Amino acid sequence: MKIKGAIIFSIASIFSHLSHAQQSPVEACHIEGIKAKVQCGSLTVPQDYAQKDGETLEINFAVLPAIDNSQYNEPLMFLAGGPGQAAAELSPMINRVFYDIRKTRDIILVDQRGTGRSSPLACLENIELDPYILIPENLTTTEIQQCLDALPSDLSHYTSENAIRDFDAVRAALGHEKVHIYGGSYGTRAALVYMRLFPESLQTVTLDSVGPVEVPIGLFGQSASRSFDLLLKHCKEDAACNNAFPNLRGDFDAVVAALKESPIEVTIPHPTLGTPTRFVISKSRLISTVRLQLYSTRGRYMVPLIISQAAQGNYLPLAGLVAQSAEGLGMYVGLTFNIVCSEDLPRVTEQMKTTDADNTFGQDDSHSAFNVACSVWPKYQVDEAFYEPVTANIPTLILSGNLDPVTPPSNGDFPAKTLPNNKHIVLEHASHTVAMSTCASDLVAQFVKEQDPKALDESCLALIEKPSFMTSLNSDL
Amino acid sequence: MMQFNALLFKELKEAFRDKRALAAALMLALMAPVMIFAISKMAIKEAVEKPDIFINVTGAEYAPKLIEAMAKENILLLSDVPQDKQTLWQERDVRLTIPESFAEDMVAGKQIKMTLSADYSDNALRSPLRRIKNTINGYSRNIGYRRMMVRGIDVKLMQPINLIEFDEAVPSSNAMFISMLLGIYLLMAAFMSGLSVAIDSSAGERERNVLEVILCQPVKTLNIVLAKLSCASLIAVIGVVLTLVLTSVAVSFIDLTTIGATFTLDGYTIAVLVALLLPICLFASALQLFFAFQAKSFKEAQSTVSMIIILPALIPAALTFIQDKPKWLEWAPISGQYLLMEDLFKAVPINMEMLFFTGVVTLVMTVVLVQTMAKKLTSEKTVLALS
Repeated sequence: MKIKGAIIFSIASIFSHLSHAQQSPVEACHIEGIKAKVQCGSLTVPQDYAQKDGETLEINFAVLPAIDNSQYNEPLMFLAGGPGQAAAELSPMINRVFYDIRKTRDIILVDQRGTGRSSPLACLENIELDPYILIPENLTTTEIQQCLDALPSDLSHYTSENAIRDFDAVRAALGHEKVHIYGGSYGTRAALVYMRLFPESLQTVTLDSVGPVEVPIGLFGQSASRSFDLLLKHCKEDAACNNAFPNLRGDFDAVVAALKESPIEVTIPHPTLGTPTRFVISKSRLISTVRLQLYSTRGRYMVPLIISQAAQGNYLPLAGLVAQSAEGLGMYVGLTFNIVCSEDLPRVTEQMKTTDADNTFGQDDSHSAFNVACSVWPKYQVDEAFYEPVTANIPTLILSGNLDPVTPPSNGDFPAKTLPNNKHIVLEHASHTVAMSTCASDLVAQFVKEQDPKALDESCLALIEKPSFMTSLNSDL
Repeated sequence: MMQFNALLFKELKEAFRDKRALAAALMLALMAPVMIFAISKMAIKEAVEKPDIFINVTGAEYAPKLIEAMAKENILLLSDVPQDKQTLWQERDVRLTIPESFAEDMVAGKQIKMTLSADYSDNALRSPLRRIKNTINGYSRNIGYRRMMVRGIDVKLMQPINLIEFDEAVPSSNAMFISMLLGIYLLMAAFMSGLSVAIDSSAGERERNVLEVILCQPVKTLNIVLAKLSCASLIAVIGVVLTLVLTSVAVSFIDLTTIGATFTLDGYTIAVLVALLLPICLFASALQLFFAFQAKSFKEAQSTVSMIIILPALIPAALTFIQDKPKWLEWAPISGQYLLMEDLFKAVPINMEMLFFTGVVTLVMTVVLVQTMAKKLTSEKTVLALS
């Protein structure tokens, strides 16, 4: 009996060794919105990749571990939009949308430098703003300067390319030879840069709502107008909508014309506090709020009613919408300005601005904030080669939403032309970042698994509902 | 040693001679994977699938969007029911009545009354009714939110508290129901597989007068008991190992990831399980032999020993109800092993001391039983069942 006891004891001591064996760069943590534990980590990277022993930055990341990790599968890395969204902050949504992928793969979410917990360049957020009174037209260089004063003096390292170098460093630190990447909106720009810098690190690439390197970010006049025209057209085609708002175009033009004259001020019960409060409506307030609604089919649903009510002098629906985004949109605006002002706006000519402003929705509204901010924002130099079309023989799935107000399907044609192994799918009834709200997420899952963009089963896309609209203050039927 | 070997050979020969009894003993090893397979299949189905529901809607034409919203959740009109399910859903007769004034009330912002009638005591309808209610409530809530928003009210006011849940469990513990089911099965396999051999080689032999003959030989009673114990516990070990192997094969056919769970029996888990269960196999067989020797007849042995095999099912069940577990439960046989298995399946690091000491306690108790039996066999009372 003694011997048996000894055997058991020796087995026991082997096990205790085993359990302490591995040292990993991540540790278990919780993220708001995901009940189960996930993994968090951070990686020290050089601030300037040309000077590797210089100053460093901490890059924060999260890993949503595969549910079944019995077999190794390359993970999916998510590249956030903006520029200025923090990937790890989007964890709950990514967890939901890409749950199918997470069954067998880790999902890696890296906060791009300048966002989230990677040396965030927060701006405006730290200044108390009343979203009901402050109108976009009043944004001046003073506010931008105020914001700049709170940021580190050297912003020239917060570039798209350095962000990609960070991403690839995280990939390597986690011990993955290759990863799949999904980029949405600005994330597609990041993905294209990734394809150019580190093609050997990528297994597949999904570009959802493309911001090609050839097209500067910031000129949304034409695309927003196109998206809005489609909304008007769909309302005309929908019996209930047409019945309720027979003159939607006229209503919209009338409101815009009036607001162009001068902003309107009304007293309303504060949407959150209930106390009487001033609400200032300017042309830019109306346009930017409506444009934000155009990003999603749920938002578009509200637009005809909001315009028609505004035409009748009722701005409460608009106030309700403003309240939705009163706490910000989760964007690190400092990084947005930093990248757009250096990488995009210098390439925009006056001629391009004029052409873009020649539209029947917001005219030059989408450039105004960038025009103001970039006039004082410090710039860094971007290599000409940065704007060259990207070619890399990596299986690529390109997704576009036909209703998209910022990255129209025509944007998707740019990479579709230069990438040899791609498939461009345009979703008729979807808007911006289609995988986030439609069954296109299943396509991404299938693509990541089979890695053949040409052989996807697109049948579910036909089931996406046609646009419908809210027809009265008490909803529709 | 030669004596023991000869005795063991005899026990094994007898045990393996009766193929039917042996098959019955190992039945449990086959039952575990089948049960675990069936139960997890059902759990996945419950959690993931949204089978079609067909309901009889009166006034569907008044609320086309609601009907659309329900269709998205696979709640369909009875008129669309396929032939093969027609009688079933007609009998179930779930009725939803949408009032004629639906449109009017909606536009006026009045509350719309809708009736859902069904046999609420019908168990098969529980899940469909829940889905119908959830869909209608969700649709209603959505409209409510929008109504608030277009009246200039911050819709976040509708949710004063956002409860953020953090589950502290280690990720791999989410297939607990399968793991614990397996744990109980393994304990039961340890107890049941050796059962028939234990009874037969004690009470059975006595009734056939074989025991007397053996005892007449110049052999030590301790050797006799050890041989019987070795044979019975060997069968128990085979049962446990078979259960383990077959279960891991069966579970590999189920895609548990669909419900966010995983179940893998890796080398480490199997090694710990075997280390846990070996002493239990010995202890169980010793306990069965002990009680079978105590019994007056084969039949009596059967009934007393049957009571013992409830232990592995009963103790784990009892443990789940004990809020503050006293320390000694960690050391006691069965409960100690069960608690360790719980940790193992939760992927909590195993307390190696606990693993060692429960094992020792279990083995010590086995030794005590063996020695008591050896001593008892020297008395004629036991041999002739006179006590």
